Amino acid sequence: MALMERELIRERPLEGRLVRLRARDLADEPLLWKWINDPEVTQNLMARYPYSHAAETEWLKTQTAPGYGEAGLGIETLVEGRLIGNIGLHRASAEDRRATLGIMIGEGDFRDRGYGTDAMRTLCRFGFAMMNMRRIELDVLATNPRAFHVYEKVGFQLEGTRREALWKFGRWIDIHMMGLHEGELRWD
Amino acid sequence: MGLTASTPLVGQLVRLRARELDDEPRLHELFNDPELTQYLAIRYPLSHAAEKEYLEGASKSVSYERVDLSIVTLADDLLIGGIDFRNVSPEDRRAALGMAIADQAYWDRGYGTDALRVMCRFGFEQMNFHRIELDVYDTNPRARHVYEKVGFKHEGTKREGLYKFGRYIDIHIMGLLEGELLTG
Amino acid sequence: MVIAERKPWTELRPLEGRMVRLRALEPEDEPRLYEWFNDQEVIATAGGSGYAKSHAQEREWIEKAKNPNFERAEFGVVALVDGELIGTIGLRMTSPENRGANLGLTVGDKSRWNQGYGTDAMRVICRFGFEQMNLHRIELSAYADNRAGIRVYEKVGFKIEGTLRSHAFYGGRYLDGIVMGLLEDELILD
Repeated sequence: MALMERELIRERPLEGRLVRLRARDLADEPLLWKWINDPEVTQNLMARYPYSHAAETEWLKTQTAPGYGEAGLGIETLVEGRLIGNIGLHRASAEDRRATLGIMIGEGDFRDRGYGTDAMRTLCRFGFAMMNMRRIELDVLATNPRAFHVYEKVGFQLEGTRREALWKFGRWIDIHMMGLHEGELRWD
Repeated sequence: MGLTASTPLVGQLVRLRARELDDEPRLHELFNDPELTQYLAIRYPLSHAAEKEYLEGASKSVSYERVDLSIVTLADDLLIGGIDFRNVSPEDRRAALGMAIADQAYWDRGYGTDALRVMCRFGFEQMNFHRIELDVYDTNPRARHVYEKVGFKHEGTKREGLYKFGRYIDIHIMGLLEGELLTG
Repeated sequence: MVIAERKPWTELRPLEGRMVRLRALEPEDEPRLYEWFNDQEVIATAGGSGYAKSHAQEREWIEKAKNPNFERAEFGVVALVDGELIGTIGLRMTSPENRGANLGLTVGDKSRWNQGYGTDAMRVICRFGFEQMNLHRIELSAYADNRAGIRVYEKVGFKIEGTLRSHAFYGGRYLDGIVMGLLEDELILD
């Protein structure tokens, strides 16, 4: 990692160019509930069934103390200070120094404008520089080429495809598996 | 060391008081600033919920096992940080100390030194400690200087004991025995 | 000095050395542990407290330790020569971010002291920590008067990193604590 990058990390390990990653609170529940019940969002996720406020609150309570095993964070815009999505490193394996990344941009106005890309870069840098990860992996549905492109831009490589592993909207969908190693993260 | 029975928790610039739930908003803000947390064990962002839960515990349980206090200025009663004894061992009469002057406006102005003196004096005079120890990261020479000024001696270095900012960092161990506190 | 080079037998038997193997602790081990951790001579080498231990405490300790995992990898030390349990060894308080752990060793069977069992157990667990758990650093602390122990730790590569003055009160006096550390390419196998 370049020295300049290091200095940046030191000052603002959770800040990118457009977004800041922060811990979530119970006050965020209405927004998170809206997103997870929005088909525009969930078409690209594994989620199928509607979520109640009760279920969402219950889940959110497990998310308010991010740590090694479960580093789930909110994505907030730097300019407006607005919560626009979720991102996290999940199921960390300490021995393998690896975790699985998940992301959603819940606010439609902020898609395709670089916010997701910036959040990805910021979290991956955090994973490598602060959590001592060596590898970050993720799944992406074959029906979501836009996200696939973002992941590639950030440095993730396609490592395999689970054929017709998901059934949604009355059809079979392939799931691509991607991976990013320390030193492969790209900023431009 | 002077007689401090009437004001054991008051120094020249600061006083130490119990944690309160009302401290939450300010602590949440200060302890999410990497300018501060780079020197602490904190890596992940803190939610209001986690900060509240912490304060609920700390405010209710001031005792021999856990003395975790807020540092406030004498001049305007402003909360500027925290200081605590942890891992207390009564048989060894020993405790580990943790301190953070969280408000950067109060760095390098003697507030940390004063808080540290008050707390160590409290540890020796009121709690009958024999030894107080602490860890300080190699990246924080300013804090190390403050600890030395108060009398802490450098006793060792855990090589590459910490990983932060993409590299391994040494952790220095410092210790202060009863009778060694320098009151300046 | 031979640095932890890969040998065929280390790959298939990651928990076996030349004199000992490490295994998970079982409830049936309780009577032995009870005996050792009530023996002041043994406790003094392991930096333990002087309080008497009950059977209930030992049972509870084993119950918590019986499933070795990343945060707490606790083992029984078994002599290869006769299959007897002779002590316990463990990596504790492991931090995944720092890739660091604390090591604790107790050779409880005093008839096995000074014969290389402890040294071998140390090598096996450190190799396990680096090769199987992907650790970067292992540290331990010892009372300054435990010279035999410190000699063993140095023999496998641990370096003295500090002396904590009057760190513990034991046997009517204050003792210094020695902090020792071993980084991932420093393990000496022979």
